[in-house]
Amino acid sequence: MVNRTTIFRSLTVAALLTLPVFGGTLGVSDLDGKAVDPFAEAARVRVLLFVRTDCPITNRYAPELQRVAQEFNRRGVRFWLVYPDGTETVAGIRDHIAQYQFPGEPVRDPRHMLVKRAHATVAPEAAVFDAAGNLMYHGRIDDRYVDIGKARAAPQRHDLEDAIAAVLAGKPVAEAETSAVGCALADVE
Amino acid sequence: MKSVLLLLALAVAAAASETPKLPTFGHDIAPIIYQNCAPCHRRGQAAPFSLLTYQDVKKHARQIANVTKRRYMPPWPPEPGYGDFQDERRLTDEQIRMIGDWVRAGAPEGPANDAPPPPQFASDWQLGEPDLVLQAARPFLLPASGPDVFWNFIFHPDLKTTHYVRAIEIRPGADRLVHHANLLIDRTGSTRRLEATPGAGFPGMELTIDRNPLDPDSHFLFWKPGTVPYSEPDGFSWRLDPGNFLVLNAHLQPSGKVEQVRPTIGLYFTDKPPTRFPLLIQLEHDGALDIPAGVRDFMVSDDFRIPIDADVLAVYPHAHYLGKLLEAYATLPDGTRKWLIRIPDWDLNWQAVYRYREPVFLPKGSVISMRYHYDNSASNVRNPNNPPKRVHAGNRATDEMGHLWLQVLPRGRGDHRRPLQEAIMRHRLEKYPNDFSAHLNLGALLLSRLDAQGAVSMLEAAVRINPARPEGHDMLGSALEALGRSSDALEQFRLALRAQPDYVDARYNLALALAKFGKFGEAIENFRPVAAAYPGSARLQDEFGELLARDGKFVEAVAQFDKALALDPSDETAKKNREVARQQMAGR
Repeated sequence: MVNRTTIFRSLTVAALLTLPVFGGTLGVSDLDGKAVDPFAEAARVRVLLFVRTDCPITNRYAPELQRVAQEFNRRGVRFWLVYPDGTETVAGIRDHIAQYQFPGEPVRDPRHMLVKRAHATVAPEAAVFDAAGNLMYHGRIDDRYVDIGKARAAPQRHDLEDAIAAVLAGKPVAEAETSAVGCALADVE
Repeated sequence: MKSVLLLLALAVAAAASETPKLPTFGHDIAPIIYQNCAPCHRRGQAAPFSLLTYQDVKKHARQIANVTKRRYMPPWPPEPGYGDFQDERRLTDEQIRMIGDWVRAGAPEGPANDAPPPPQFASDWQLGEPDLVLQAARPFLLPASGPDVFWNFIFHPDLKTTHYVRAIEIRPGADRLVHHANLLIDRTGSTRRLEATPGAGFPGMELTIDRNPLDPDSHFLFWKPGTVPYSEPDGFSWRLDPGNFLVLNAHLQPSGKVEQVRPTIGLYFTDKPPTRFPLLIQLEHDGALDIPAGVRDFMVSDDFRIPIDADVLAVYPHAHYLGKLLEAYATLPDGTRKWLIRIPDWDLNWQAVYRYREPVFLPKGSVISMRYHYDNSASNVRNPNNPPKRVHAGNRATDEMGHLWLQVLPRGRGDHRRPLQEAIMRHRLEKYPNDFSAHLNLGALLLSRLDAQGAVSMLEAAVRINPARPEGHDMLGSALEALGRSSDALEQFRLALRAQPDYVDARYNLALALAKFGKFGEAIENFRPVAAAYPGSARLQDEFGELLARDGKFVEAVAQFDKALALDPSDETAKKNREVARQQMAGR
C-alpha cells in the first residue's frame, strides 16, 4: 500500500512536469522493471501494439508490424510493444521479441492501464494517439483476418498504416475504430 | 439491516436450490478440454499454445468460448448425420453451453481435487519405435509471412527387398507449421524430375505421379494434427519395393518468422502381404471447372455407377479456396440415398481423410454422386483473387479443384479391383473422349485380362491422340505382340524410342522382339542399357545373360549370371543358366 502511494505520487509529479498532462500508466514498466510512461515522451504520433507471446495471430503479424514500423520510424512516430499478460516472464518476452523481431519499445502492462486507455480487446491490436495523447484509432492492423481461422489470402485494407498516415497529416482517421481478431486480453487480466 | 440480510440469505438459498452450481474448471471444463483439445494443443503438436493446465485454459477462456460456440474448434467440418465417421471430434451443444457459462462466471478453477489429472501423451513415436525412420534430405525454409505454402518432400527408403507397410507415422519436424500432409508412393522416382536439385523438394498443391494402372493406389496415407497414427487392419498392408520413393505433400503456414521444416516419417512393417485389395477411386469433373468471376454458386458434379458390390471404407474430399458446400452420396439401385459426406462450410485448412465407423455397403449398380459448390464472388473471404477472376482447374492455390476420393473395397475374396478400375476409366473417357491417359490405362487393363484386340483399338486411339508419348507406342507394341503381329509390334517399339530414346520399357520390349526375329546382335545392343538401368534386378541381369548365351557370347553370359546370383543367390534359373552356359563353353 505504501509502495503504491509512492509510485502514484511520483507519477503525478512526472505528469505535472511533462506535457501533455494525463494519468493512467500505473504499473507500466520496461523489461528491467523501471516505470515508463509512453505518454510522457515527445512524439508526433504514438502507436501502442498489444501482443501476447502465446497468440499465433500476434506472431503472424510480426513481419507486417516490422514493415509499418520501418515506414514511420523516422517520421516522428514512436512504437511501443505492450505485453498485458502479467504472468509472462521477462525472459519469455525477450525471447519472443528476438524470435519474431517485433518492432517497438517493449513495455509491460499487467494492470491493463494501457489496454483500457486504448480500448484494446485482443492481441494483436493497435492504438494510435496523436501528439497530445488523444486516441485517434484503435483496432486491427489490417483486414486479413475476418475471424479466428478465417483469413484472406492478402489484406485489402491496411488500417493501421492508413491511421498513422492520417494522424501524421493532421487528418481524422476515416474509420477510427475497427474490431481486431486475435486472443482476448481480458483472459490475461 | 436485518431485513436486508434476510433477503440476501433467501436469495442465496433460492439460487442454490433452483440453479445447478456454477461450472468450475476442475469439475466440468477440464474433462472436455483434456479429451477434445489437448491432443493437439500441447508442445510439439500443430496447434498453437498448450491447453494442459488451468492456467493455460484460463488464459484463452474467452477465445475458447468463442471458437467452440461457432464450432470452429475442435475442427470437424462434416455435418453430423451425413456419414458416420471414426474419431469424430465434436462437442455436444451441452458442452459448448457449459464452456460459455464457465467463462461468464469468471472462469473459476474450483476445488483442486475436482480436476482430473492432465492427460499424458507419448512424447516420442506414438506407435513405438518404427522399423524404418526416414528424414527429408534437406529442410525447407518457410518464409516468415505470405500465403500458405504447399511443399513436397521426397524420401528414399532405399530398401533391398520388398516390404509390407502396416502403418506410417509422420512427424512434421517443426511445431505448429504443418497443417496437414499426404504421403504418396512414387514407384518409379518420377517426381525427382521436379526437384531443382536432388533432395531440395518441390512446390505444388497437387501431385501427378506416374502410375502403372495395374498397380493402382489403394490407401490413404494422410496426416493431420492430433490424431493417433492409423494402423491398417489385418490384411490391408501395402507394398514398398526397392527403388520406390515416398513423397510428402505438406501444407505449411507461415508463422511470423522464418522457419526450417524438415519432416521425418516412421514406417512400420509387417511380414504379411496384403490379402485385402481396396482401390482409391476419384470422382471429379475438372474439365467443367470454369468459374466466371463473381459467381456465388457454381456447381460441379460427377456421377459414377459402380459395376460390382463394394464397401466404401473412407472418403477424402478436396477443393481449394473457392469450395463452399461439398456433398457426396450414393443412390442405391432401389432408389434410396446413402450419404457419404456433407461439408457445409468447406475450409481447405481442415481437409482430411474421414474413415467410416462401419464400411458403407454399396450394391452393384449404385450411383455415387459428387456435388461441389463454389463461391467465386468477392464475398467469399477466402477467395485468393481480389478482385475475383475467372478460375479453372489447376495446381496453384489460385486455381480450383473438385475431387472426391473414395477408398473402396470390392466384395469377395482376393483382388477384384480390375472391373472397378475399368469402369472408372471408361467413365473418364465419357467425360474426356480425347484423354490420352484414360486410353492408355484402359488399354493396359484390357491387355492384362487378355483382351488383346480390345487393347489394340484402345491403344491405337491413344497414339492417335498423342503420338509424342512413348508409353502409347510401347503398350500398343505389347498388345500387337499378344495378337501375334510381331512386325507391327517391332515398329511400335521403335516409334516409342523415337519419341523418347531413353524409354527403358520400350528398349526392353524391342530387344525381346528382335530376339524373336533372331536378330541377336541388335537385341543385345538394345538390352545393354536396360541391364545397366536396373543393376539391382537379378531377373533382368539373368535375362540379359540368356540373350548373350543365345548369341553364343558365353563368357559375357556367365558374367551376367554371376551378377544375377550375387544379387539373389537363391535364383534357381540363373544357377541353371550358368551351368548350361559353362557346359556350352567347355563343349566348344
